[in-house]
Amino acid sequence: MKKTIAIILAKSAYSTGRILGKSGTALPGLLAEKVDGNLMSKLAKGNFPDGIVVVTGTNGKTTTSKMISDMLNGSGVVHIRNTAGSNMRRGIISTLIQNSNLRGRNKARMAVLEVDEAYVPSVCSAIKPKYVVVTNLFRDQLDRYGELDSIAKSFEKTFAGTKSKLVLNADDPLVASIGIKALNKPIFFGISDYQGDKIINDHTADSVFEQESGEKLQYLQRYFGHIGIYTSKNKKYTRPEPNINLIKMRSLTKVGSDFDVKISTQLKKINISLPGIYNIYNSLAALATTEALGLGVDEAIRSLSKTSSVFGRGESIEYSGRRVKLLLIKNPTGFNQIIQTYLKPKPQSNTLILSINDNIADGRDVSWLWDSALEDLSSYTGKIVVSGSRSYDMALRLKYAGFNMDNIKIANTLKQALDLATAADPSESGIVYALNTYTAMLEMRQTISRFSAVKLKGISK
Amino acid sequence: MRAIKILHLYPDRMNIYGDFGNIITLQKRMEWRGIKSTYHPVSIGDDLKGEYDIIFMGGGQDRGQQLVAKDLLLKSDIIHDHARRGTPILAICGAYQLFGKYFVTSEGEKLPGIGLFDLVTRASDQRMIGNLVVQNDVFGQMVGFENHSGETELLDGSLALGKVLKGFGNTSQSIGEGIIQGNSIGTYMHGSFLPKNPKVADFLIEKAVHKIEPNFVLKNLDDSLENKTLQSIINLTN
Repeated sequence: MKKTIAIILAKSAYSTGRILGKSGTALPGLLAEKVDGNLMSKLAKGNFPDGIVVVTGTNGKTTTSKMISDMLNGSGVVHIRNTAGSNMRRGIISTLIQNSNLRGRNKARMAVLEVDEAYVPSVCSAIKPKYVVVTNLFRDQLDRYGELDSIAKSFEKTFAGTKSKLVLNADDPLVASIGIKALNKPIFFGISDYQGDKIINDHTADSVFEQESGEKLQYLQRYFGHIGIYTSKNKKYTRPEPNINLIKMRSLTKVGSDFDVKISTQLKKINISLPGIYNIYNSLAALATTEALGLGVDEAIRSLSKTSSVFGRGESIEYSGRRVKLLLIKNPTGFNQIIQTYLKPKPQSNTLILSINDNIADGRDVSWLWDSALEDLSSYTGKIVVSGSRSYDMALRLKYAGFNMDNIKIANTLKQALDLATAADPSESGIVYALNTYTAMLEMRQTISRFSAVKLKGISK
Repeated sequence: MRAIKILHLYPDRMNIYGDFGNIITLQKRMEWRGIKSTYHPVSIGDDLKGEYDIIFMGGGQDRGQQLVAKDLLLKSDIIHDHARRGTPILAICGAYQLFGKYFVTSEGEKLPGIGLFDLVTRASDQRMIGNLVVQNDVFGQMVGFENHSGETELLDGSLALGKVLKGFGNTSQSIGEGIIQGNSIGTYMHGSFLPKNPKVADFLIEKAVHKIEPNFVLKNLDDSLENKTLQSIINLTN
């Protein structure tokens, strides 16, 4: 009975919110949980006969979830999925309620839920996911998550003795070691062949030590941050052999990648239309999940090749006759990946927008800007417009990274930033790259939609 | 003048709050004045060799900090010697605590620090997180971001780096933030600290340069962007 009241309350809050034009998803979940504290567990139990997939980690949650979802669609598996904006406890409850009837039942065979790292212990204990995918763990919003070590510790504790099948990144020592006490043997994914360019001023290696002893790990290959091929005297921190193993990198470009992957004993050629090594990791995570699910691998690879960019993460929108590519930055590793993938390759874009906010969802501490490898870009000659509540911090970072400050403009609003970036100048053409923290990205999309003649729609590539 | 030697203690373990930004700032502000500098990262098990002109150490994760604390004790004498000779030292967050007399953990265990600063720190249940604005008579208003649960008590006769205008500072109830003792500064302000507080950066540089050439005059730099950044953060906290 409590359950039904909670669901009715949440559903009406949701429709009222929609009428008022609010897209927030936390409120219905909040109300529902006030009435029935065990609602999340009740909504998961008895539903989703083929299981729930939880996707977590610092970077790549949303794209990996989208890839898994596309693969499930390709195989005709009816499922539900939450959005990046609702990956905390209340957002997840809201998603489950929206997709169920008043008795809390729904027709989906599966759920794919991305879960914010801080909520993994409580969400996993309530919904008992059949599969848990962990993409990577990096320093991220220390004011909100606390230290990385404590996140890793909470994961290890949550998954000690778990029945969930873990899908883990073999190349991240912190992630690979969290399944050590799980009941089922984890499925590992990893890259064994990478000779691409690397970030030079990389300060993002957070986990190059064994957690307990503090001994340094030995790296045979280091791709970025603490991601690579490593060994240690302690078996817990020796890279496991990946079950989904990229053994040949054929091409890695701004628009997509080709590579060969060994999946158990089969060798598969894979093509994706998303750029950068981080999207290769997302693809391997998704493939490893479908392998765990027992979906047809060829069908999964076909779906994967069609996955396009997600909301605000490489999405292109037109504004004042220029194409604006929205890229989310939220921590130094992600920022470095955007620099490596989009900004360093020649010919370089000649217009950038960097909008940095310090709201709670962005992380209130912006010191991560100083750990990002802006020095790798210091010879950049194009125009840069900075904006957001921390625009001056961003501009100052550029100054100390050695940028030519004559090319840097500070905008008071995101509208002004867009106008300055797209203002007619014969020397400028091509894509405007707009790098935004989370709330700046949401604001940027709204601004474009309000002031652009073109209705907001995502165009992949 | 010979190159200024910057010693960066434990950059591989004490680096989570944009600590490299402080090094970059020292390097650039010397480079812009034609002062050469060299960078010397030193970590666990490494020896300190010869004379350094500026010593910096940042904050780390709790677990990393325990190993660092042990190793730091081995380097204590050399650091004390440097401080006695007027070498400027900047210790932020975790380093600020480890440079004190001791740290009392939440289990009541007393971990010895190197005692360079006359202060003690006790673990607390409260995490003090947010923007800090601190007033100092020489440096004016300073800004930074704090994120700590340790409560730091300055012992009799020690001088806080400044008065807290916004945020917590040394403790959840404190009036003071950080410590200044001779040419050594300890603080909870990161974010990064030195880029936004160029007067403090120049204080450290000037003390380093004066060890070699006592009459050297630091050239003024155009700090309009630095000052606007500082002001923008003060405005955010209002």
